[in-house]
Amino acid sequence: MSVPVEVSLAAVRAELVAAADYAAAAGLQIDADPVAGDEPRFYVTLVNRDSEQFCAEFNCAEYPMFPPNVEFVSPDRSEKGTARLYPQGFHTTPCVCMRYNRKAYGERGGPHSDWRLLDWRLPTGNGVGIDSLALMISDLHSKILQSSGRMA
Amino acid sequence: MSGNKTSTSVGHSGPEDKGHAIIHLRVQTPRGIWTMTEPVDAVKRPEYSPSAKIEQVIEDARTVFKFVEQDSKYTLLRGSEILEPQRTLVSYKIEDNTLLVLSVQGGNA
Repeated sequence: MSVPVEVSLAAVRAELVAAADYAAAAGLQIDADPVAGDEPRFYVTLVNRDSEQFCAEFNCAEYPMFPPNVEFVSPDRSEKGTARLYPQGFHTTPCVCMRYNRKAYGERGGPHSDWRLLDWRLPTGNGVGIDSLALMISDLHSKILQSSGRMA
Repeated sequence: MSGNKTSTSVGHSGPEDKGHAIIHLRVQTPRGIWTMTEPVDAVKRPEYSPSAKIEQVIEDARTVFKFVEQDSKYTLLRGSEILEPQRTLVSYKIEDNTLLVLSVQGGNA
């Protein structure tokens, strides 16, 4: 089963309104140019406590049935998913090990073979269910703001 | 509209409040912004005495947006500055109409 790109684009565009409000208040930069160009993908630049910048790519193909693939990329986006692009504090695969990240699932090569993609909105432990793009950005923002240094 | 009566969150006042006005805040959360007018059905409004603690603002914002989960981490920020829960608004020199951010961290896998 797949989700037409038009459906994913509509969902992402609708949710980006709230996500952009949150990002603006938090001083985070969102690059949604690909969404304007009909690709369900956007970027958020986050900062750790040492003021180092990290660029997260949200590839929302097949969203909202499946969660985005969240990956750290280089500022020019030519490099993707290497440990030196990750902040400290994440799974050393490397991976953002949360249900909202498609990469974390065993069926996509990630460490969590105990999770099902269709259940991606469920909470991890007894925490808040991260079920929107704004909450995903907030979760990353909170974790990175309190971290120091790079994974490698 | 929920029909719930909106209350304020002025909190305790102390000696340091003398001569100070009530502080009205704007709090951006991942579920929307909390102001004196938004969301329209909010059960509380973000107006506080200067001696109110940061933890009270966090608690009230969680109530308004129904962040009931205890195992998540809730942090109040001014820009990129993390505000300590036990400190007061006046200790940060937070002024009327200041925009704060409630960041919400999910559980860890």
